[in-house]
Amino acid sequence: MARILVADDASFMRQMIREIVEEEGHEVVAEASDGVEAIEQFKKYHPDVVTMDIVMPRRSGIDAVKGIIEVDPTARVVMCSALGQETLVQEALQAGARDFIVKPFKPEAVTATLRKVIEKED
Amino acid sequence: MPLDMAKYRAVFVEEATEHLADISRALLELEKDAACSDAIDQIFRMAHSIKGMAASLEYGSVTELAHRLEDRMQAIRSAGRVPGGGELSLLFRGLEGLERMLAVVRDTSHAPPAEPELVRALMSPLTTAASDAEPKKKAPTWPPRR
Repeated sequence: MARILVADDASFMRQMIREIVEEEGHEVVAEASDGVEAIEQFKKYHPDVVTMDIVMPRRSGIDAVKGIIEVDPTARVVMCSALGQETLVQEALQAGARDFIVKPFKPEAVTATLRKVIEKED
Repeated sequence: MPLDMAKYRAVFVEEATEHLADISRALLELEKDAACSDAIDQIFRMAHSIKGMAASLEYGSVTELAHRLEDRMQAIRSAGRVPGGGELSLLFRGLEGLERMLAVVRDTSHAPPAEPELVRALMSPLTTAASDAEPKKKAPTWPPRR
């Protein structure tokens, strides 16, 4: 079981990810609705994994990845992207994100990606 | 594991309604200041968010219209301002189109088709005309024409 921080400005998406990961036995320790809050919640809860939306107010998901990696270079961040955001996903991966999942979410794809990221040794 | 889509449909209607109100407020801001980057960003993010939620619920027509509005706002963001020549009224039409579709989703759980003319208009190239808020400069009169 992993402790997960879910960062997305849409309550809809946060609820959907929460339902998918809790069904898999993980615990959502915190949620964030923008990039600034994502970094703050990361510092507070030190989750095992962060799911990070790309388009968010105040600081984007990519900025938030950079902020989190500054705090903890071993942080595991999985980007949540939409079709057409391939360039932004590449930027996030270069900034230190481990992997990505594509919206609309397919529960099996989300759980498989999280499992891969959680089980992979640093 | 199947998700309870009826629950998410209700969340979508509630959240998209709020987003459309935000878009409306941001458009009114752009009427006053066509270069207001906060308002441009806000509409881009709200359209993006509606697109993502609608796609999750397989509302293809809502996804498409929101996607076109999002792309339009991306072009406006690159241009740095809302150009004149009816661009703002096109954005208002985009908002009204989404409002109409959302009302049908709320009442019937089904999404109506997007208006093809509106989708086409949102996909047309962004005009580079000067903003209504910034009148065109007069052509230089020097050197005098002979």
